[in-house]
Amino acid sequence: MTDITSFQPSDEDFARVKTDLAVEQISRPSLSYWQDAWVRLKKNTRATISLYIVIGLAVFTLLGPVFWQVDSSLQDLNQISQAPSLPKTAALVGAYKRWDGIILEDFPAEPEAYAKSVAAVTELRAFEAATTQQVRITWNPTPGAGGYNIYRNHRAPEDFNDLGLPLGSTFGGNEVSYEDRLSLESRAYYYSIVPTDGYDEYEVYTVTAITPQMIITVNDARGRNLITADEENNLGQEIRLEFHPFGTDYLGRDMLARLMEGARVSLFIGIVAPFIYVIFGIIYGGFAGYFGGRLDVLLMRFADFVVALPFLLFMILFKIAFGIGPGESGIFPMLVTLALLLWPATARLVRGQVLQIREQGYIEAARLLGAKPSYLILRHIIPNTMGVILVTLTFAVPAAIFTEAFLSFIGMGVAPPTPSWGSMCNEGIKTMLSHPHELIFPATFISVTVLAFNLLGDGLTEALDSRMRSRE
Amino acid sequence: MKFVLVLVLLLSIQAANAEVDATSVDFDSQTITIALTQEPPQLNSMKATDQVSIVILSHVIEGLVGYDRRGNVVPGVAERWEIDDKTATFWLRKDARWSDGSPVTAHDFVFAWRKTLEPATASEYAFILYPLMNGEAINQGKMDSSELGVFADDDRTLRIEFARPTGYFVKLTAFVSYFPVRKEFFDKKGGRYAADATDLLYNGPFRLTEWTHSASLKMVKSDSYWDKDNIHLNAINADYITSDTRARLNLFIDGKIVHTRLDGETYKDALTQRFRIRRFSTGNVFFVEYNHRPERITRNRNLRKAIQLVFDPNEMVNKVLATPGNLPGISPFPVWLNGVEDKFRREYPAPVTDIDVEKARELLETARHELKIESFPPLVLLSGDSPTAAKQAEYMQGLLKARLGLDIKIDIQTFKQRLAKMTSGDFDMVNAGWGPDFDDVMTFGDLFASWNLNNRGRYNNPAYDIQVRTAMNSSVPKIRMDAMGELQKIIHDDAVILTQYEQGVIYLMHPKLKGVVRRVIGADPDYTRARVVK
Repeated sequence: MTDITSFQPSDEDFARVKTDLAVEQISRPSLSYWQDAWVRLKKNTRATISLYIVIGLAVFTLLGPVFWQVDSSLQDLNQISQAPSLPKTAALVGAYKRWDGIILEDFPAEPEAYAKSVAAVTELRAFEAATTQQVRITWNPTPGAGGYNIYRNHRAPEDFNDLGLPLGSTFGGNEVSYEDRLSLESRAYYYSIVPTDGYDEYEVYTVTAITPQMIITVNDARGRNLITADEENNLGQEIRLEFHPFGTDYLGRDMLARLMEGARVSLFIGIVAPFIYVIFGIIYGGFAGYFGGRLDVLLMRFADFVVALPFLLFMILFKIAFGIGPGESGIFPMLVTLALLLWPATARLVRGQVLQIREQGYIEAARLLGAKPSYLILRHIIPNTMGVILVTLTFAVPAAIFTEAFLSFIGMGVAPPTPSWGSMCNEGIKTMLSHPHELIFPATFISVTVLAFNLLGDGLTEALDSRMRSRE
Repeated sequence: MKFVLVLVLLLSIQAANAEVDATSVDFDSQTITIALTQEPPQLNSMKATDQVSIVILSHVIEGLVGYDRRGNVVPGVAERWEIDDKTATFWLRKDARWSDGSPVTAHDFVFAWRKTLEPATASEYAFILYPLMNGEAINQGKMDSSELGVFADDDRTLRIEFARPTGYFVKLTAFVSYFPVRKEFFDKKGGRYAADATDLLYNGPFRLTEWTHSASLKMVKSDSYWDKDNIHLNAINADYITSDTRARLNLFIDGKIVHTRLDGETYKDALTQRFRIRRFSTGNVFFVEYNHRPERITRNRNLRKAIQLVFDPNEMVNKVLATPGNLPGISPFPVWLNGVEDKFRREYPAPVTDIDVEKARELLETARHELKIESFPPLVLLSGDSPTAAKQAEYMQGLLKARLGLDIKIDIQTFKQRLAKMTSGDFDMVNAGWGPDFDDVMTFGDLFASWNLNNRGRYNNPAYDIQVRTAMNSSVPKIRMDAMGELQKIIHDDAVILTQYEQGVIYLMHPKLKGVVRRVIGADPDYTRARVVK
């Protein structure tokens, strides 16, 4: 045992012990709350993909129209309801010239008496080169006929009952021509001629196949800026028609341009409306939660009252109140209605969170250490409710997009010709079987967007909620 | 053993079912099954206005005359008739009988026509009896109905006095509003008249025997009809009530109904099914009606002319409507109307408009100066709510924007609401249509006369009115048709309306059912003289 009295401390004993910094070094970079959340979000594949989709949609909406400068309301009646395809070409022709048809002078319009049966017509042929502007056919008359019915089919007819579309009739056995202009495409058509007694048909027919050539008139081409002034005389030359990579709708409008413009409406409503009402809900709920007491009861009962208000009725009321007449866009009243009626859900959620956090030990500790309310709110309460807020926001986005789609679907949303995904679905569903692309594209966009926001919301819940960390 | 027994039972049940399941046509019993688009709203012939009621009524009640399959007038209850500018006389056949056995007399017609015109009946079709002397005054409550210009000289002679020469009067009497009603029966039934199958008296080729409201109707051949030997069908079952074209097509495919109309979507399926598709012109003309009221900019003729110069009815028919049967609308008078000797449109060809965008823009500029406005405000285009109507409206919107730079606001409304807005003048342009009520040019001709309540745009042109009066007050075909020819010119020159198309429809009919008549005026389709072939 050392004699304590004999110990003489030297200066050395009072020198600072050399600390080994390496021991205390944090081996991994320190992560803030957001960095941590980001790391964990990135680990979630579904959420990451969804995030990329959301970014992609934003690019599609904002930058798309810069690269794809096509007027979404421009009608291209040469290319109606076209499925997605590569660019098409068409021959340049002059303006449409009226055709009076062929009425034979040396053949009777009506026979002296109608026989029980007559022979089929012969030499059914195209009168001139068939184009998508008009197909003119003619045939040799058959004795005993008092007129002819003209049919058209997409395939070779099998029997008398399979002649296809009844295009028209001629009245008179000597009227031996017909001009077809009914939505012609560049494909094979089977024309059939059936002689009649001016009223009933004789059960004989003659068929010929004709494939019209795709054409565009000079006026049309000039109107759509497809040709330059000096090209106008080059009749017959092949020119490129407008390219519609996603096809066209029932009035020949470009689907891609419409989807982009529709995205602007749908995403505008889908992001702005939730943003407004979520922020309002945070302030409202935070206020109620932080101050509590009678004020809390009062505010929350008012929120309950707002929940009970019918959405559609208010939408209609606002539309009238804002003086939005028929044929005008209902997007603004929709935005107002969404913002005014949907905030209580967020408010309730935030209030609950604030109530809970307010009583936590660390808040108490901070307060004892002298933290001011503003510091408490900004540093402790808001960041801890952020998870809930962001999640509400991401779930509110698809809900709003759906609401917009639904309202436009029933005609309460955008006014034609402005498209939105919802109104495009509404149009597309009418031709679902014959031209499915008109429904599939907008429907896919709605589904993918809603799914992406939902999955992203899921991912954010997991990433932002520190209590979930234990599950990893 | 048990299993086999069950199987046999099952099979026999199925076989029985197959027999019970009514097919659309049955040769042995000469029975057919049809689908109605809706429950007949009104089977009281004095008040009926809709197509379904008119179809049912025309099968069970017969008027003075009827139409044959080619649209010619044939005798009905009347055996023969005489008509001049002031009077008409109908001689009734003696074997025309009501279903209770009593004869159809001239008194039944007098009663029905008076009753229809009485203001208390509030018949929407009362105006169709205005050619009768004092008809209009009675309908307006200014006279008693006993002063109507129709008299029963005896049980079988009906004499009519006209308010003005009405050359087409005989054709009018085929219309339901001119059908007879037996007074004793009507009074006995009181308010229940025509409420049920037993609350109606029948004198037509068929009788309504069952009427399960909103579900089905059954008509069977009448054994008291004077021409029953030429009626082949024994029963017409209206077992289905639906207006959904897809549902109706499915019923047709399943062999449950004999007839269905096709639209732009369903016809493609019918083609795939290899059905025989038929075509029929409904006789209706569709047009854009402008608002000519003084406060509207569409009152400006140059604006209307500009629109006329850029609108191509061919494009409308071939690219936008895109179903066969529609004809480009170049005249408010459809092609089937009769003129003096030939068809009206052959005798008086419609003026043709050539598309001229440059000139249209000039006219628009003139219109702008005339109206003293900086730029054109958006025009409101009132439109129906059917898919086709909405599509047409959007086409017009795109067309006027692209070619003239005019902004169009589309106001889509239900039929009732649209009619209300048309009446109050709350529109600039409206997609409208007009169907004929009787077989004469006048049914279209007086549409834009200043006094016509159906002139919703309030077009008011003395020159037009003069022509209508000329035609009304004459019974000389040439004078009347000349006046109508002038009307056609005025409507084109003044661009009163923008004619778009004459409607055609395509439909399916069971191949074993022959003799069904489609008609422009009256019951369509008419199964009266149809028969099932083997």
